[in-house]
Amino acid sequence: MLALALLLGTSGCGDLSRDELNRGVESLSALAAQGELIASGVARDATKSTYTRVMAKTLGGEAEHEAEKLADAEPSPEVERERDAAVQIAGELADLFSELQTFPGDERHGELVEKQMGKVKEQADAVVERLTGEEA
Amino acid sequence: MRDEGEIFVVHRLLDEQILDSDGKRCGRVDDIELRGSPPRITAVLVGEALYPRRLPKRLRHLARRLAGPERWGANALRVPWEEFDEIGATLRLRRKAEELGLGEGDDPERWMVRRLPWN
Amino acid sequence: MKSVLKIALGIIAALGGFLDIGDIVFTTQAGALYRYDLLWAVVLGVVGIAIYAEMCGRVAAVTGRPVFDVIRMRMGFGLGLVALVASTFVNVLTVAAELGGLAIVLQLLFDAEYSLFVVLATVGLVIVVALLPFGGIERVFGYCGLLMLVFIATAIHQGPDWGEVAHGFVPSLSDSKLYLYFVVGVFAAALMPYEVHFYSSGAVEEGWDESNLRENRLNAIVGYALGGILACSLIVVSGFLFHPVGVDPTDLGTAALPAQGAFGETGLLLALGGILFCVGGAAIDSSFAASYNLAQFLGWEWGRYRGPKKAPRFTVSWLVFLALAVMIALSGINPVEITEYSVVLAVVALPLTYFPILMIAGDRSFMREHANGMVSTTLGWLYFAVIVVLALAAIPLLLMTNGGGG
Repeated sequence: MLALALLLGTSGCGDLSRDELNRGVESLSALAAQGELIASGVARDATKSTYTRVMAKTLGGEAEHEAEKLADAEPSPEVERERDAAVQIAGELADLFSELQTFPGDERHGELVEKQMGKVKEQADAVVERLTGEEA
Repeated sequence: MRDEGEIFVVHRLLDEQILDSDGKRCGRVDDIELRGSPPRITAVLVGEALYPRRLPKRLRHLARRLAGPERWGANALRVPWEEFDEIGATLRLRRKAEELGLGEGDDPERWMVRRLPWN
Repeated sequence: MKSVLKIALGIIAALGGFLDIGDIVFTTQAGALYRYDLLWAVVLGVVGIAIYAEMCGRVAAVTGRPVFDVIRMRMGFGLGLVALVASTFVNVLTVAAELGGLAIVLQLLFDAEYSLFVVLATVGLVIVVALLPFGGIERVFGYCGLLMLVFIATAIHQGPDWGEVAHGFVPSLSDSKLYLYFVVGVFAAALMPYEVHFYSSGAVEEGWDESNLRENRLNAIVGYALGGILACSLIVVSGFLFHPVGVDPTDLGTAALPAQGAFGETGLLLALGGILFCVGGAAIDSSFAASYNLAQFLGWEWGRYRGPKKAPRFTVSWLVFLALAVMIALSGINPVEITEYSVVLAVVALPLTYFPILMIAGDRSFMREHANGMVSTTLGWLYFAVIVVLALAAIPLLLMTNGGGG
């Protein structure tokens, strides 16, 4: 019984496997993609600021949640580098969404965030490739 | 009437909606009283207290706790067969629901519905 | 001429009222994940609801019996009670999902606390129901739901490869459990039982008889077909914009992004407005369906037309169901998640309420010359088989895919 509890306990608190990390980074890539679209709307002054603010708050929260999840987990050694990169990406995403939240109607900020979101997405996709590429 | 016709009528009667003389919905046929040989329908039974009998044995105990004890005239009503007018598309009573104690759950006085904003 | 206008308006209201939060959530996610590959599942679901609704409407018009009257009569008290409990549970969950969806859209428009909007939206709906006559409610929400046409405009504006879109209408199966989960979800969202139960009770409320049979047919076929096109456009715009960049639409607001991308702020407002009315109308329909079903099963007086004085238990039960739904919406569970559960559980309960209607619709002693003909019988039974298969697969797929999480 104790052994079972220990087993469940350790598997719960986060051995981060390659697959789990991959999924986490993919979701970061998805968030960045959405962030890019939303920021693009701000940049062209073609959206409503309340929409931007609320969406940025929600998505930023998701990025932060992912950052915490990844940071708390114990990565298996071969993916430790990727895990650290992912945490950094998640943190950057959260910051970018925070920018959008603070300046939901500012076109210049929208343009900057749009570009940055694109870069962050590329970074996330690169990590995904490293994770899945190494497997093959 | 032959037995088969009687059973068929019982089968169609059971669970049918009851309307009073004003067309007001006042309950369903929850059970049927049959007397005599060959059996004849003598009354229609209506009320929550009759639900437990319609359920499988295992649920009856729980259902009885929920429905409460059988209180004839309150949660179980006996409507004699003579009170019914048409047995065609609908089961219609000759008299009004209140006169037979039916449909009391929908008595507006009970719910003090006048308190609701749109009244 | 007057009747043609009346029928046309009925179809328009059916079109505007077709979508609810379940459709929006599942089509947007389906498009993002599988691009155009699930368009056939929408069609399958739309045909299904057209068949089911036509039968229920016909039964209501010819026999004066709405769905749960039929269920109590054909299934008896015991089995009918199972159908009632399942149906009520699903309906209350659905109301909660719709209320949550309303609150989210209001948040996106006015940026205040979610919980505040849940309560405000509910109070608003109660006031609307209290003030407007029954037919008026359907019309207001139905016509305003037409704002969703912005999604068809978006699809055209985006200019996808229509050949590829057409390919999505060809049924394809995959051994991917997530794909199968979405087949079930998209189908189930189109065939939500509350809509049909509401429709059948509405037919009795409006005093339908045999002269309304043609209108019933047209509502079901044309109205839902047009609604299906709308649902398909949601998949197309989502597939076009989200699939290539991997956006995962787990938030309701994401559904409006394609319209914003195509038409800027105007597109965004039309989309959000459309979603507001679709979801609001659905909240009313599903909450009424819950009360209709309960009152009809137990033999109480019922009906919006009877009013709270003549049908107090019906009215109180409606308010109780709303209150329960509000509690669920305020419980902190993401409305999108509540939606997924309500849709999946709806298809699981669907065979229980579909089967008795199919039987009655084909029973000559009740329907006389209006009983199911060859086509209706064949289609009716075919769909029963489809529904049973999906009902059995739904919960396993939900669990295996971790609620569509993959």
